[in-house]
Amino acid sequence: MTTAKLVTVQAAYEDFLQRSLSKLSCDFARLIYLASTRDYNTGSYHHDGLASRFSPEVAATALEMVHRQVFLQLSACSLEELVEQLRIYFDSSHDGAGEILRMWQKLEPYRIAIPVEVNPAVARLFLSNVRLALAIWRSRQDQSLRGR
Amino acid sequence: MISITLAIFMCSVVMLSLALLATRGSSVQRELAFRTDLPLYDESSGDPSLCPPEFAARIFSPVDSTFVTAENSRELVRLFQHERRVVALVWVHQTKTAIHRIMREHTRVTRQSADLNLLTEAKLLSHFVQLLAICDLLILAIQTAGAARVGALATYAASLSQSFADAQHALAITNAARDLRGASTAH
Repeated sequence: MTTAKLVTVQAAYEDFLQRSLSKLSCDFARLIYLASTRDYNTGSYHHDGLASRFSPEVAATALEMVHRQVFLQLSACSLEELVEQLRIYFDSSHDGAGEILRMWQKLEPYRIAIPVEVNPAVARLFLSNVRLALAIWRSRQDQSLRGR
Repeated sequence: MISITLAIFMCSVVMLSLALLATRGSSVQRELAFRTDLPLYDESSGDPSLCPPEFAARIFSPVDSTFVTAENSRELVRLFQHERRVVALVWVHQTKTAIHRIMREHTRVTRQSADLNLLTEAKLLSHFVQLLAICDLLILAIQTAGAARVGALATYAASLSQSFADAQHALAITNAARDLRGASTAH
């Protein structure tokens, strides 16, 4: 990658952080959003706004960079921090937390939030931690229902 | 003086232990391939590097274990122990595979090198053997005691494997630079 292109990618990266990602409630919401900008079939990233301000290629590289960064941040979180991330994510959703929890445990949609070419042990740690965080939420819900 | 019978007995014990570790290692590999969501670390696909040390520290950290225990649920503790054990075994397997890859790469480079430093080579080989033994020991320890109890050994293995990778990398650069110098003086 040339220096000029690197500078442009860095500008696109900062633009995206400022305009789009900062408006989301937590890193978990950011990760899910970033994964949704990736094409399921080709694995390439698309964002109309960013592509129009820079170029589709630069936008895709910047999105991939941010995706990897947010993923690594979340994977390095403690279980307690991840449980809190999930709470903020569930609270910011329009759907009921109970329903999201049920679907997430059943379908495990967070599996597609992993970037391509990531370290296998880190990916496995992330999946395992999300599964555990969901189980903790389920257990807390069950305990509060039993307590009523 | 040690009698011949005792020496043979000790050799047999060592050989049996090594065979047991090797069998255990391959059974762990089979088990992981069956139980994990992601394909096992494979050299033909996936990231060939070592897992970053901060993630190794996270996998073996006792902080998460304390947090889960405070939730007062036996099922959660059981699930946590199972999940962490599998992640820890994936980490050990990946580390072992990466070490083998680094050593193979080093052997390839040294074969082409004209002047070898025997002391450096012996040091690298001893690191390699030590790391493999630690990884096998970790597999046994994780399976018997769980990931949270072997943090110190895992951290040691992570830092040793990183310095092993760094040393090999530095040697490869030195050899390449020497070859370049040799080529330029020949011209």
